[in-house]
Amino acid sequence: MDELKNNTPELSKMKKEPPFNVPENYFGDFSGRLHAKLESETNIYPKEKKGIIRYLKPALGMAASFALIFMLVYWPIKSFLPDYMAETNTVIEQEIEMDTYMPSLERIDENSFFTLMMETITGAEETGEELNDEELLNYLSANVSDYELYMHTEN
Amino acid sequence: MDETNRDLITSLKQENTRDRAFNQLVKTYQERLYWHIRKILLNHDDTDDVLQNTFVKIWKNIENFREESSLYTWLYRIATNEAITFLNSRKRRSLLPLNDVSDYLMENLTSDPYFNGDELQLKLQKAILQLPEKQRLVFNMRYFDEIKYEEMSKILDTSVGALKASYHHAAKKVEEYIKKSD
Repeated sequence: MDELKNNTPELSKMKKEPPFNVPENYFGDFSGRLHAKLESETNIYPKEKKGIIRYLKPALGMAASFALIFMLVYWPIKSFLPDYMAETNTVIEQEIEMDTYMPSLERIDENSFFTLMMETITGAEETGEELNDEELLNYLSANVSDYELYMHTEN
Repeated sequence: MDETNRDLITSLKQENTRDRAFNQLVKTYQERLYWHIRKILLNHDDTDDVLQNTFVKIWKNIENFREESSLYTWLYRIATNEAITFLNSRKRRSLLPLNDVSDYLMENLTSDPYFNGDELQLKLQKAILQLPEKQRLVFNMRYFDEIKYEEMSKILDTSVGALKASYHHAAKKVEEYIKKSD
């Protein structure tokens, strides 16, 4: 305060009371007016209910948001994505191929099938794809009888 | 924190004693908070509005008062924030530049029927209105209320050093203004 007197002599001469007053009995009535205001505020903004709903509200809100995002974004994208269409087409094409070749396969006889298989093996040999002994033995034991094999070697 | 305030806070936090304790709080602090706000806003009607809002806010937030500061500091902080928020809303409404609220406050002061100061006091108020907002706050709290810097630091959330410097600059500016206008 001494510092204030030395540095600001004009200011230190002044009265320190604020130059204001209030209406008569203002502070006596204030409490009642405040009470009225509080009552009106409480009616406008009722106190929040305590309980489990209050704590679950954020989680429920988030869950609802995710569900909404899924419905609005993920589901339409999944429905109209080209991959999905491609997958469907492949299945359809495979079904068509099977429908086309199955009757032809059923009509072919055993000898023609054997000849076709031998041609395939010979073709494979020509292209350099050699069968080893074990594979050949497995193939013959599965598809050719002993008698056929004997007749084939005699000829 | 003294024993009376501790009892008051305990009563405020219990639902069955809250009403009575709040009435006691209002009676104890209404005048001090009124004059604090009045020095910021200068006009009685505005001060009355802000004081009521301050107590409404205190009522609504009393459960959140964590007792890290004294009750007095907490109440002053709410009152100061409410007064500044009120001034900012006035600035926005009248499209005033953010730092220029002094004209509005001067009009408030001269038109207020509850101003009873002499010419010298009016001059002092005009000088205070020339100060930037933060300096004006610090000057009022220190010069009129003689609030300790440590207490002020908690209310305004500013360091003691910064507050001392702020008051020093403010006092010099006020002194110069008074000398010039003589």
